[in-house]
Amino acid sequence: MAAQTISSLSSPLQTFSSLRPGVSPSYRFTNFLFYSSLRPSLPFSSVILKPLRAARFRPLAVSAALKNLSESDLVAVPTDPQEVTVNFPSESGVYAVYDNNNDLQFIGISRNIAASVSGHRNSLPELCHYVKVGVVEEPDRSALTQAWKSWMEEHLRTTGNVPPGNQSGNSTWVPARQPATPRKKPDLRLTPGRHVQLTVPLEDLIHRLVKENRVVAFIKGSRSAPLCGFSQRVVGILESQEVDYESVDVLDEEYNYGLRETLKRYSNWPTFPQVFVDGELVGGCDILTSMHEKGELADLLKK
Amino acid sequence: MASRAAIAMLSRAQRIKSNLQSALEASLLEIEDVSHQHASHAAVRASGSDGETHFNVKIVSTKFEGKSLVNRHRMVYDALADELQSGLHALSIVAKTPQEIAKK
Repeated sequence: MAAQTISSLSSPLQTFSSLRPGVSPSYRFTNFLFYSSLRPSLPFSSVILKPLRAARFRPLAVSAALKNLSESDLVAVPTDPQEVTVNFPSESGVYAVYDNNNDLQFIGISRNIAASVSGHRNSLPELCHYVKVGVVEEPDRSALTQAWKSWMEEHLRTTGNVPPGNQSGNSTWVPARQPATPRKKPDLRLTPGRHVQLTVPLEDLIHRLVKENRVVAFIKGSRSAPLCGFSQRVVGILESQEVDYESVDVLDEEYNYGLRETLKRYSNWPTFPQVFVDGELVGGCDILTSMHEKGELADLLKK
Repeated sequence: MASRAAIAMLSRAQRIKSNLQSALEASLLEIEDVSHQHASHAAVRASGSDGETHFNVKIVSTKFEGKSLVNRHRMVYDALADELQSGLHALSIVAKTPQEIAKK
């Protein structure tokens, strides 16, 4: 067996990443002789492992079988989302997330580890401080699952516990389905700010906005923090439709000064929120809710 | 027909009712002041008014026949233009035709 054990750099407090962009550590994972159909979030059941077979040698990187969990380095998750892809590979494999106390919170598998880490960091910043990475070569489903099982088993052996995030019924760590993007889009602003004088009437800006974007919601507050129950409901409905929409905060006096009055005249509609689809006012919260319940909204958005 | 002065004395709820009644010939009209549900609303607090800012309106009228929801709501808003200028903040509107009510 050509496996070389990289001298372990990791004490639990190791924070420096040994990964560099473009070079993925080549952890060759060989086949175990058992079948698995479990998803990582299900409770782990005990399985018998067979010994590892010989690993093939790869010229560019050190060849090794998938490192044990305890031998893998802890990599600090950067607070700047741009840096995640610097420290983590966008490869397939298994990963283990640790919080600030170096307690293992969750073991997951991913087709894009950097994206998963980024996603977890965004949604659960208090639990994602370090991650151990095990890239899996030839990552078919069974190889990935086996890698996950080996780490899970090892953790169970050493601590006797299933990580909290992997326990049955725990839905905190929904697998990141999308590549690393901020959870919610920023709201659109109509103007660069009050200090800049408009060369074009606000009505024209509104008109252009609703014509150029398929779905536009004029709401009170931002989409991540609506300031009114009706606006909140509209945001909720649009999010549940998973449609791409633009949101505009009509209460923003800096970037959307004068919007409320102008929009009321433009749409001939006196209240907010207002939702436009394909350049036409669809209505406010009541109408949207009614359409959503009847399924009409989904039809409208599908076209 | 109540005189203007008399109308002004009525509460907003009553004014809404009478405006909608005459403008839309409603066969059914239910008005509910739900301003207290929105008491923490920034705009409500700022305007300093104590109630009469948010209403639920249920209205049935033949005039809604053939009209989209948006247009029905617009008709209601148009009938209440004065109220909207003078502190009425939001309306939850249910606007149906007699047939639609009968169907349910």
